[in-house]
Amino acid sequence: MALSGIQIYKMLPQTNCKECGFPTCLAFAMKLAAKQVELGSCPYVSEESKKQLAESAAPPIRLITLRANGTEIKVGNEVVMFRHEKTFYNKPGLFLRVKASDPDLAKKVAAADAYKVNYVGMDFTLDGYAIEADSDLSAAVKAVRDVTKRPLMLIANDVTLLDSSLGLLAGEGTLIYAGDSSNYESLADVAKKHKATLVIKSDSLDDLADLTQKVQAKGVEDMVLDLGGKNLGEWLTRSTQARRLALKSNFKPLGYPTIFFAAQNGVEKEAVYAAQAIAKYAGFVVLDTFAPEMIYPLLVLRENIYTDPQKPIQVQPGVYEINSPKPESPVLVTTNFSITYFAVANEVEGSGLPAWLVVTDAEGMSVLTAWAAGKFDAERIAKAIKGFNVADKVSKKRIVLPGHVAVLSGEVEEELPGWEVRVGPREAVDLPAFMKQALN
Amino acid sequence: MPIEIPKDKWPGSIKSITIGATSAEGGTRAKIITIGGGTTMPYLQFDAPVLSGDEAPNKPVIAIEIKSHKPEDWSPLLAEVWGEAMSDPAEWAKKAEEAGADLIVLALTVDDSAEDAVRVVKSVLSATGLPLIVWGPGQAEKDNELLVPVSEATKGEKLVLGICEDKNYRTIVATAMANGHLVQARAPMDVNLSKQLNILISDMGMPKDRILMDPTTGALGYGIEYGYSVMERLRLAALQGDAMTQFPMIVTPGFEAWKTKESKVGEGVPEAWGDWTARAINWETITATALVESGADIVVLRHPESVKRVKGAIEELITA
Amino acid sequence: MQHTISFTQHDKPTPIVAQVPTNTLLADAAHIAGIDIGQPCGGQGRCGRCAVQVTGGTVRRRSTLRLSPADVEQGYALACQTVVEGDVSIFVPPQEKIERRLTTDRVVAEVTVPEGYEYLQDQTVRRIHLELTPPSMDDQTDDWSRLQIAFRQQQNMERVTCSVDLLRKMGQVLRDGDWNVTAVVDVSNVIQSGESNHTIQLIDLQPGLVDEYSPLWGIAIDIGTTTVSLWLVDLVTGRVRAQVAEYNGQIARGEDVISRIIYASKNGGGQELRQRVLDTINSLLETACKRVNAKAGDVVKATIAGNSTMMHLLLGIPAENIRLSPFITAVNHPPILTARAVGLNTNPEASVDCLPGVASYVGADITAGVLSSGVDVADDVTLFLDVGTNGETVLGNRDWLVTCACSAGPAFEGAGVVNGMRATQGAIEEVWINSDTFEPTYRVIGGGKPKGICGSGLIALLSEAFITGILDKAGNVNLMANSSRVREGAHGGEYVVAWGTESESGEDIVLSRVDVDNLLRAKAAIYAGFTVLAETVGILLESVSKVLVGGSFGKYINVEKAVQIGLLPDMDWSRFEFLGNTSVKGAYYTLLDWRKRERITEIAKRMTYIELSADNSFYEAFTSALFLPHTDLSKFPSVAEVLENKQADTEKSTHVDK
Repeated sequence: MALSGIQIYKMLPQTNCKECGFPTCLAFAMKLAAKQVELGSCPYVSEESKKQLAESAAPPIRLITLRANGTEIKVGNEVVMFRHEKTFYNKPGLFLRVKASDPDLAKKVAAADAYKVNYVGMDFTLDGYAIEADSDLSAAVKAVRDVTKRPLMLIANDVTLLDSSLGLLAGEGTLIYAGDSSNYESLADVAKKHKATLVIKSDSLDDLADLTQKVQAKGVEDMVLDLGGKNLGEWLTRSTQARRLALKSNFKPLGYPTIFFAAQNGVEKEAVYAAQAIAKYAGFVVLDTFAPEMIYPLLVLRENIYTDPQKPIQVQPGVYEINSPKPESPVLVTTNFSITYFAVANEVEGSGLPAWLVVTDAEGMSVLTAWAAGKFDAERIAKAIKGFNVADKVSKKRIVLPGHVAVLSGEVEEELPGWEVRVGPREAVDLPAFMKQALN
Repeated sequence: MPIEIPKDKWPGSIKSITIGATSAEGGTRAKIITIGGGTTMPYLQFDAPVLSGDEAPNKPVIAIEIKSHKPEDWSPLLAEVWGEAMSDPAEWAKKAEEAGADLIVLALTVDDSAEDAVRVVKSVLSATGLPLIVWGPGQAEKDNELLVPVSEATKGEKLVLGICEDKNYRTIVATAMANGHLVQARAPMDVNLSKQLNILISDMGMPKDRILMDPTTGALGYGIEYGYSVMERLRLAALQGDAMTQFPMIVTPGFEAWKTKESKVGEGVPEAWGDWTARAINWETITATALVESGADIVVLRHPESVKRVKGAIEELITA
Repeated sequence: MQHTISFTQHDKPTPIVAQVPTNTLLADAAHIAGIDIGQPCGGQGRCGRCAVQVTGGTVRRRSTLRLSPADVEQGYALACQTVVEGDVSIFVPPQEKIERRLTTDRVVAEVTVPEGYEYLQDQTVRRIHLELTPPSMDDQTDDWSRLQIAFRQQQNMERVTCSVDLLRKMGQVLRDGDWNVTAVVDVSNVIQSGESNHTIQLIDLQPGLVDEYSPLWGIAIDIGTTTVSLWLVDLVTGRVRAQVAEYNGQIARGEDVISRIIYASKNGGGQELRQRVLDTINSLLETACKRVNAKAGDVVKATIAGNSTMMHLLLGIPAENIRLSPFITAVNHPPILTARAVGLNTNPEASVDCLPGVASYVGADITAGVLSSGVDVADDVTLFLDVGTNGETVLGNRDWLVTCACSAGPAFEGAGVVNGMRATQGAIEEVWINSDTFEPTYRVIGGGKPKGICGSGLIALLSEAFITGILDKAGNVNLMANSSRVREGAHGGEYVVAWGTESESGEDIVLSRVDVDNLLRAKAAIYAGFTVLAETVGILLESVSKVLVGGSFGKYINVEKAVQIGLLPDMDWSRFEFLGNTSVKGAYYTLLDWRKRERITEIAKRMTYIELSADNSFYEAFTSALFLPHTDLSKFPSVAEVLENKQADTEKSTHVDK
């Protein structure tokens, strides 16, 4: 159980010595509760407290790391059922499945490996490849390893085959698919030998829990679960149940990330299946189709779902067109705090009046807060107007500042020679009236 | 040893709400639709007590959005798939029904006069037997100008009238109350604002089985994470017994997804975005799937292929 | 069946008698008898102002809301909720007496001298008599040494020092008093260290032996962003002799601390703001002194509380870093200064003690508030709210203290509201609205014509407008309400509290939509501040044993109405205490007792500041509080009940109308 700041405070020396870098023990305790600082920063904490605090911090879902030469992916370590309760931490790995028998294997993987897509300034790629051992696995592993540096997953039942293939991937963290009641012992041995992570597979949670304990007894700590199931409904149910057991009942035998094959019922359902898996707790999602038109939206969904909801809500800075503005339409300026943006955009949209809405980068703060913190000043406004080339879009160089920062108008005029600066109303609700009366 | 699955037991549930009235009930609909009734987080039937027939939650339904005038700003992909029908709302409604819609959303425009609006609504009502949702053009004055006569001319049909927002809800709610319709209450991606609007509407005396809430969701890549969490939180609050969040949710992934650049634009975009048509449909489908997972009861879409795929997903989800 | 009702009014000896049938309301019976019993809430049993005493006979009380069981025992009944069932005798008590009986008002306790105040032990400033041996041709000791010798021999004061100004007048004073002088000294160094070899500062020197027990003046000051308060204190008796307050002259340069900081950073702005607040303080000083026939120059000690920005601006210290990340003040605890350096028109040698703050947004006003409210020594978890511009909140007890600040704005101080004003003569401080007619009844401080509305009046007005349906829960004015007082104004809907014909200025006094928004934001910020603070440390609000409310918005607050608008949490009203301006009170305590100064320094060290903007939880809590009383009505069960009763009432009357 996570402890509150006050609970942790009671285990600290309460001397307010400041050596941890915080003004009081309580301030330090609250940072500890928020997992923003390590207990080690306190030189005077007792051994007893250390032990108690360590127990409360153990993650209910094991962190699994797959790695190759230079790249790695971490999944697990999740603590909530719903992202708003805190956040989802480690994005599921998106793997592409290829067949060892595929004559174009290397070419396919190379193409997929080169795939890179940019979303709001971030580059996304696939995370790894799953090789299905339908013919010579070692040869396939060699071929694939030649064209990618990403982690691999090997789909095979033959222990000898796995052993030799894993031998080719020495020093890597590879995923083996999959141990079930018939073969878990031998697979556990090979996983242990090569420090690989083993997927355990069963159609029943009871059996699954039983198996993971047996595998753990054989010395394998890193496991991933395949929960089985035949359709979206079943998969949602099982994945929810496994997560709940881990988080709410602190049931260790199911405290592992899960894996899901998105094309198991045909490629036409692949996108929707993968979407559910991303939203609903999967640790790894395996795709069969390399199609940018599907992978791009899935990567974006993954990014969206795994965004920290505690961070201030921001919209992308830029020029927003409202009601199809024309060159003579007014230019309104506001900040990129989403609620501020919505308030302004909705009022103007609702009025039917066309406008260019320039959203500045105010680090997600509202107009007044940003102004107070120096994130919404004449310089930044001018930078936005210039940076977004607003002058090229309009025939009338006239901008409207929020009424709350009327005080900035003089400086904005200085920063933006040739622009007429007008002060709008303080509240978004008064914008339509202002635009009708004052701007005509 | 069998594992004991921890179950969430909830004191509250989502209200069951019926849209549309048959001739026996004072309307003209061939088909009516009941949504809501959920007693668990979406599709987690194992949490629910044993259900018998009528108590089972209603499955989410798909609405297709059509407009009173051919929309000039819609993606050419949509114009392609609907063809000439886009210029004739009645024809469009028929094709939507064929495409699998459970109900129709008819969006009026600023170019409509009150008489136009009434005529279009009536023509759509005669063209299809499905229940109907009517949206004003989204400007307070114009909404009120169009929706009041529509409401009066269709008394008893149990339409859904929208869209009520905090600054403009009184007129729409009053006319819906007087003429036996429902209302759609939209708040901008915020649990509190949604709830506040529901309270304001209820305070006017609107019966609680005639309110749908529209949480505003954003599209994939454009804020869907806020909409997604707001919906989960509204559903959780409802299940915990908060009467002012127990209304079924209507969401508009069609509108949201088709205004994104990814769906709207085919040329001059990065190669990594892939094939335009497939991408656009994926954008709408994945946006809708995420919203279905977080508790949507009415999903308003635009492309027939998305309708097919999202319906398929819903069918799988309810047969766990 | 007819009954005889006899009314005896408190101010008229002869009873008035009326004949009425069974089940007649006492209020109606009184009307028939020609007696006017005021019913501010319109006869709905909400306000309790129509209570009368039944001294004989049988009545039936439909509702006893507002009356305690003891009241009922004594025969009290609400005239609007009580019907006659036989011959009855009624006593109509004076209105003030009724108001005092009502349990919801909290009045600031009178300021009393702290128990056990001993001038000679607690005070760091002393007045002493020195009788010097006159010089002669044989005794050529210089004046200063002569004075020091007297200090040493007569007062055991080893190391006395003074300013050059005092040296300049010393010779004349010694001779004017014929070598008998009265000295005022600051002995804080000696007292605090307990060692006599520390420096003693000579503050004043007067000719002759001034009466030891005549007043020795000190001032306690609170510099609020909106309001500056000053108490003039006799340090000998410890008594507060004058209390004065005025809007901070800096308001003309911005309503909030941020605007002031930015203004100060501009050319000459800092100097101007410093002068403005000094003007305010010095004019208050003048006013206070005039009241007790003292001279400003006789004030020998000052203690100042105020938020960090106000402190920086007063001292002319650049404040820019307060608003910029990582929000670092120049100084949290300034050293003791002289009035000359600070710019006060007191004795220039007077020591000026600026109390310690904690952080940029938790200043000395709050540490002073904690001191005077005693949160730092409370056994149980206590919540302290300062209903001021910066909405500071403290939660804690003797073991821990956490604090936060949230920008509430000046609305509850009457600023930033169209017809707002400070709680002085002419301010409407209480309002009731009749929910049938929407006619208001109000009380004006001082009893004359209203000039505006002060904080407590605004709370009452907002609550009444909400409960009676003039405002919906989002604060929208219901223009469909059937009253000429509800109308479209310049900023949207508004409600007329007082017509121009009744007001001092001849203009209508209104509550506008913008005012409602400002008040909603202010109350939501404060509510969100303390709820998030409690959540952050994992304390349930219900487990808070006491809620101490500070604020400079008047002498009185109607707790019920503050709950109804969602400013205060809905809990047993007995848990609330209204402390008035806790900041100036803390300054006053520190002015008197040097140990309090040590305690306030300790408080500043112990407080943990919680930054509310670190995540979304404050924003969430704020939006959900931006509603009347709150988006989650289940947090306000008592308000839910009032609304239900109101609803039932409306339905009943609609039914009857049909």
